[in-house]
Amino acid sequence: MTFSLFFQSLINGLNQGAIYALIALGYTMVYGIIRMINFAHGDFIMIGAYTLFYTIPLMVNAGMPAWLAVIIAIAVCAVVGVLVEILAYRPVRKAGSMSALITALAMSIFLENLAMVLFGAKPHNVQAIFSLPTITVGSVALPLNLLLTIAIGLGIMIALQLFVKKTKLGKAMRAVPQDKDASTLVGINVNKIITTTFAIGSGLAAVAALMYCATYPRVTNDMGSMMGMKAFIAAVLGGIGIIPGAMLGGILIGLIEIFVKLFAPGWYEAVTYGTLIVILLVKPSGILGKNVGEKV
Amino acid sequence: MTKRRLASYGLNLVGAALLYALITLAFTFNVFGKSTTYIQGICTTACYTIIMVTSLNLVVGFMGEFSMGHAGFVSVGAYVSAIVSGAMAGRGLSDLGLLLVAILAGGLAAGIMGVAVGIPALRLRGDYLAIVTMAFAEIIRVCFCNFSITGGGKTMSGILKLSTFDRAFWIMVVCVTIMFLFVRSRFGRTVQAIREDYIAASASGINVTYYKVLTFAISAFFAGIGGGVYAHYMTAMIPTNFNFNYSAELLSEVIIGGTGSLTGSIIGAAFLSSLPELMRDFSTYRMLAYSVVLVLVMLFRPGGIFGRWEFSLTRLLGSLTHPKAKATKGA
Amino acid sequence: MKKRNRVLALTMAAAMSASLFAGCGSSTQQGGAAASSEAPASSTAAADGEEDNIIRVGVVCAMTGGSAIYGEGAQNAVDMAVEEINAGDSGYKIEIVNGGKVADDAKDAKQAMNAYNKVMADSPEAIVGSFFSSVTLPMAEQASKDGMLLLATGATNADVTLKGDTIFRNCFIDPYQGKMAALFAKDKGFTKAAVIYAKDDDYSNGLKDAFIENCEANGIEVAYTGECMTTDTDYSSQAAQAVASGAELLYYPCFLDTVPLLVGAARNAGFTGAIMGGDGWDGCDTTGLATQFDDCYFTNHYSSEDTAPAVQNFVQKYTEKYGTESLNACAALYYDAMYMLVQAAENAGGTDTASLVKGMTGMSFTGVGGDITLDENGDAIKSIAINTFVDGAVKWTETLGSDGTVVSKAD
Repeated sequence: MTFSLFFQSLINGLNQGAIYALIALGYTMVYGIIRMINFAHGDFIMIGAYTLFYTIPLMVNAGMPAWLAVIIAIAVCAVVGVLVEILAYRPVRKAGSMSALITALAMSIFLENLAMVLFGAKPHNVQAIFSLPTITVGSVALPLNLLLTIAIGLGIMIALQLFVKKTKLGKAMRAVPQDKDASTLVGINVNKIITTTFAIGSGLAAVAALMYCATYPRVTNDMGSMMGMKAFIAAVLGGIGIIPGAMLGGILIGLIEIFVKLFAPGWYEAVTYGTLIVILLVKPSGILGKNVGEKV
Repeated sequence: MTKRRLASYGLNLVGAALLYALITLAFTFNVFGKSTTYIQGICTTACYTIIMVTSLNLVVGFMGEFSMGHAGFVSVGAYVSAIVSGAMAGRGLSDLGLLLVAILAGGLAAGIMGVAVGIPALRLRGDYLAIVTMAFAEIIRVCFCNFSITGGGKTMSGILKLSTFDRAFWIMVVCVTIMFLFVRSRFGRTVQAIREDYIAASASGINVTYYKVLTFAISAFFAGIGGGVYAHYMTAMIPTNFNFNYSAELLSEVIIGGTGSLTGSIIGAAFLSSLPELMRDFSTYRMLAYSVVLVLVMLFRPGGIFGRWEFSLTRLLGSLTHPKAKATKGA
Repeated sequence: MKKRNRVLALTMAAAMSASLFAGCGSSTQQGGAAASSEAPASSTAAADGEEDNIIRVGVVCAMTGGSAIYGEGAQNAVDMAVEEINAGDSGYKIEIVNGGKVADDAKDAKQAMNAYNKVMADSPEAIVGSFFSSVTLPMAEQASKDGMLLLATGATNADVTLKGDTIFRNCFIDPYQGKMAALFAKDKGFTKAAVIYAKDDDYSNGLKDAFIENCEANGIEVAYTGECMTTDTDYSSQAAQAVASGAELLYYPCFLDTVPLLVGAARNAGFTGAIMGGDGWDGCDTTGLATQFDDCYFTNHYSSEDTAPAVQNFVQKYTEKYGTESLNACAALYYDAMYMLVQAAENAGGTDTASLVKGMTGMSFTGVGGDITLDENGDAIKSIAINTFVDGAVKWTETLGSDGTVVSKAD
């Protein structure tokens, strides 16, 4: 392997990893608060992407920068997220994790097929969002898009971390998963907290959709499932529920995939999943996770 | 007590035979008219799905652990049995014999895979176990994509068409009976004790890991048998058939039917595997309607249709003949 | 409380099984009604071939899931063809069973078998479909057992037609299309090629194998072979390696949903050579990637630029009626399939399955997909159009005959 190919792979890996990380942030946020694997999160990204696909031309025609469309996408995603939470997840919350899981799977199928009916089955290209150049050093191409994705990822990560640790709402959010009944006793409206979490998580999905579309400019109705799965693995790898862990896990998965593709492209998925298994067996709570002993 | 139980098994067997006779009669006398083959196809699909779903229920319902990678074991059974039947064809075995040998081989291979996956994976619990089983299933799929004997990512075709409705039905009855016996045995009760409280169980001297891995392996074994029937019904398959969506489909069938109820699994599997067919008239809205039904069942019956309740022909007949006895026994 | 739950469970179960039986019942009625209304017609047809000139056809394609765009095209094309044929003066009419709807296989083998059985329940005389090899293979196996005519449209796996004498297809087989791409590369004077293919797909594997084999036979070095999955979105690694290998041509035999991503990734990685694909490329979205799609080629059944009346009529009418959203190779193949059935009926002078098989065996046909001759296996031997992109729009460059010679060329 030449040096330039190595550096190029490093950049490609970071690029893919940054997207995974951005999606994983939303995943981990929701899981951390309600302890539920939200399979529909990938489909929130699909909804965000379709919103961008339809609103970017409007933005450009109105003479505004294309990325401002993300504000509409955040609003749409947050509304969809809250609706899904109130209509489907809330009623089954008391019934245990299995019912919640099946409901999440069903919502994922529902959103995918709804998108097919609403937006048609044809994959569409999304208009260019940022006109950032690509810097070429030697034979290595560094897209500035990548730096922007990482910067947004880090920004969101720090903001989320501060929000969860410092604000009153954030503290309430951390209290809910520890003990729902006790939280209610101290005056926390559990349902309100969970709905807020969904609104934030889905809004993050819209931001992820923006960077996703800037890197992979295509929308299809089933785009969410694969990306969602990878981001989910990233979140688990870094320690699910831990915000910096999602960032770390995402970048790691991105790098692993790109480098495995250099040597054994047919096996890259197996290596990704293999890494996940090994990490979970060695450290079940993920790389940055804390091992919490079980109460007897 | 044992006599009563024997009678009960006999009765249920008679029930299965009656059901079979009813369906076969309906087919031979063309009750469904031109749709006979169509209905027969749906029933065969339901039969092998029932095997897969009840086997998954051993893990989800009776052991109380998530498994989101059941399609992995199904695929091991499907591919191994297809290879075995291909290799054994023309060696003087009857069709039925060949099918039985092939699916047993498939089941054993899947069972061994179950042990291999179970030993490391079952150290984890809850969501983490679910994720790891999913990861193992994906790895199995990628392997089948890369092995040349399984078509190397292409469709493996030309598998003998050995699964007919009659064979699938009786294989299903045998498998479900064995699983039922397993659940009702001392062994099965131990597993349920672990589900209720694994710390208490291990404190009372139960080797938790041993029982868990064994249950997992038995579940994988029957998944492999189901896969074998599937392979010899489809005659062609591609590894992408056994992706995460298939595992998720099986898991939802378990939960819709009722975790911890084998009869629930039978109803869940038969109902959900036929549901997309019943909705063909909706055309492109079909899967939309399917997901709505899933959510509605979860909303109104969060524990599944049957919950943990088992349907029993003996009890039903008993309550019909002696209405008072039911009240005292509490069934 | 407990008891009430049980009662609820029982009622629920009862309701569901009732709905199950209701479903069966209704389909029975439909089947029964169709059978009873059709039975006298078909018996008269058997007795007197001139009275019933209706060909009953079952159509199967993927209407839901990730490949639903193909099903949309198929449904539109079938509707259009049937309308034309029934209004025309060929003397034959087509009736699509299953209420005029394409039966959905969702690109899943399990559902494909059910879809096949479902259309079979309406006693069709021929079945058209399906588009993917992985779902068509089980159907072909069953169709040859049932003695049903199956005209596969997009299933390019060579095994499909080997399942029986009643299985035909009107698309290229994989080896043929891969070979033609290699011959085109040779014609262009390329000496070094790279291939990226989807590991988990029949079509992609088949084209890749044939392309590599024929490249080597024609002195073109395959410097890099990369793998991906059909669900992938990131091609940066494979693209970087293709660039590093110094290839002048990148062959990417996959379906339209990932083509823009691959082309974008390859151009971003600095790949300046030609990029080529198969008929799976037809209908892919080039919006915003016009410059990237320069110097890209794909082999196809037809070219929307072709001046042949069949092609012009199809492209124009389709665009008028349904827009260009689902105008792709799949639509063209299903459209042709309908006309092929009519011609088969004309050849043999009857509309029952046996006559259609007789009429179709070895037939020559001219349609949207050019001149087709069916060989002894039932595979289509036909000319192949090579298209390129100019400003993101598909432009025809040349058409190669089945032996690889240039039949016609754009100026």
